[in-house]
Amino acid sequence: MIRSLVLFITLIAGYMTIHAQNKEVLYDFIEIPQALMVNPGMNTIYNWYAGVPLISGIYVQGATSGLTVNDIFAADGLDINQKVRDRALNSLSKRDEVNGIFQVDILNGGFRGQKDPANFFSFGMYVEGYALNYWPKDLAILAYEGNADRLGQRFDLNDLNTSGQFINVLHFGINRQIKNNLTLGARIKLYSGIVDFNSTNNSGYFETTVGQNNLLRNTLVSDMRLRSSGLDALLDANDNGGGIGSLLTKRGLFGGDPGLGFDVGVTYNLNKQTVITGSLLDIGLLYHTSDVTNYTLEGSASIEGVEIILPDALSDPNADFWEDLVNEIEELIPFEENSKNYVTFRPIKFYSSIRYNFGKQGEPTAACDCDNQTDSGDRSLYYLNSVGGQLYAINRPRGPQFAVTAFYQRRFAKVLALKATYTVDKFTASNIGLGMSLQAGPVNLYIMGDNLLAYGNIADGNYASFQLGLNIISWERN
Amino acid sequence: MKYIPKYLYTLIMCAAILSSCVDKQDFDQLDNLNVTPTAEASILYVETPERIINQVSGTNFYSQTFNFDAFSEEFFADNVLDGVVTYEVENTTSKPLDITFEFLDDAGNSLDSENFTVNAAPTAILRREIAYGPAGRSLDIIRNTSAIRVSATNLGDNTSVSTLPNPTVYLRSSAKFRIGLK
Repeated sequence: MIRSLVLFITLIAGYMTIHAQNKEVLYDFIEIPQALMVNPGMNTIYNWYAGVPLISGIYVQGATSGLTVNDIFAADGLDINQKVRDRALNSLSKRDEVNGIFQVDILNGGFRGQKDPANFFSFGMYVEGYALNYWPKDLAILAYEGNADRLGQRFDLNDLNTSGQFINVLHFGINRQIKNNLTLGARIKLYSGIVDFNSTNNSGYFETTVGQNNLLRNTLVSDMRLRSSGLDALLDANDNGGGIGSLLTKRGLFGGDPGLGFDVGVTYNLNKQTVITGSLLDIGLLYHTSDVTNYTLEGSASIEGVEIILPDALSDPNADFWEDLVNEIEELIPFEENSKNYVTFRPIKFYSSIRYNFGKQGEPTAACDCDNQTDSGDRSLYYLNSVGGQLYAINRPRGPQFAVTAFYQRRFAKVLALKATYTVDKFTASNIGLGMSLQAGPVNLYIMGDNLLAYGNIADGNYASFQLGLNIISWERN
Repeated sequence: MKYIPKYLYTLIMCAAILSSCVDKQDFDQLDNLNVTPTAEASILYVETPERIINQVSGTNFYSQTFNFDAFSEEFFADNVLDGVVTYEVENTTSKPLDITFEFLDDAGNSLDSENFTVNAAPTAILRREIAYGPAGRSLDIIRNTSAIRVSATNLGDNTSVSTLPNPTVYLRSSAKFRIGLK
């Protein structure tokens, strides 16, 4: 089991990418306060809550499409070179990706308004890191097999698409029951970028063709860039053997790159038993201004080796044709460095759901006064069961990605709520997730996992996420 | 009995998470991974019109040494595994020619040479592939090459003119080498 855990952590940390970030088990799990983070318009049923610092919300996720660790590293006696060739080079497409994320709540809390109990305020701070890398198909072939005997084949430079970000987020949200059957919510987020790198929207190609003069002609047309902020300082701190913690703290506490974002959400009761919800998260951007280093490779050139055409070449007996060729290429396709500020947009996420509650149990499971809910609001807690579907979408560099989820939720008295999900997305069509919220007096513990079928051999899974947290919840109205 | 499903559910979840396991993985396989791309590109192209040959008195109408650092670049020299240099000589002039292609080291010493004797036009294009590495000549020739010398000797006269359009002698060359990145 230890080995499994180590591998799991390695997978997550190693791939440390986040954009998939579908929290389908947590979404609309109203017994858990952190569900507000994925729908600020969720029906709130608490008077106040306080997350236990650093452990109120811990979330890690890793995903790969098209390839698993097991595909390459299984101890199956096959030649790894053949496995790489068959299962990666010849199988993966430029849309396949590896990504991962971690998110840790530093602080998280919420309270109901004193003057107007219809308002519920939430606030907190969390750190989040992700990295995302699409499979650079053409570049991988070029690196693994080279350009030999591939006349006329264009290696697309657009295949290089990678990004990563490590940020600290300070947030404040308001949630208000507008009408008996309608709750709206919004959250403002102040980002502080710690580290960012990205190389997206590259274009161009490398091609080898029959030469016009010489035997071969190599052509490079390039419009490529790699942008980074905070990376150099981090690497320097690492090389110098210290100061990483203070650097991260400084940049995370608004000494890094500033940014601003918003979340919005809604819950609407179609009738007493049917509820629809929706939310848009991370509508925002970061302006990268500190410790910025960008690299560009822009231009085009075709070469056929050193070309000596007499009698012109005799005009300068001291000519260094090789150096001239190298200089010409560097002029045509300069590799340059600059420190221009840049903007990155956060990946916008969209959730929606429809839920049908049934199996009335007669009284709310939570020990709350819940005037609003009694009148209307979300009456889910009056029912033992909920069933429904969710739709998730996220904006990605190669276009939006979608996930569809079916779920069943069961409540047991006042202490336990369980949710099971089945999700289909680009990573897997057999993603079964389970979540549990356990209420022991004021203490709320939740834990949830994803793609549990893959846990039998986690190295062969395309997707895994894990989330847990600990809160103190007051259900009593003042 | 009422809460049996609850416990069952909890048990399943805890079992799934805590008893997660993994088939045996062998990450040492990475040591056996060979990343050995084969890169190819042109090396040198020399084009000499017949009128230039006729203008030069004597038989050695052309000899020049070119700086050529592509092979001696540290990355290439350290990682080259084997390869082939391809030469092609096309002669549409009225003269038989003798052309020598030499690889030179830093001190100007000849490490390797390839000689081509071509008949006067009309004649076929002469193409030759020279292997370097375990199945050919020593790779040290390639690794230590920092210059190329091309010498051409006119084995005919200085007055004749080919009846072919734009009579010229062309020397073309390319290299295809396998590089061990890992």
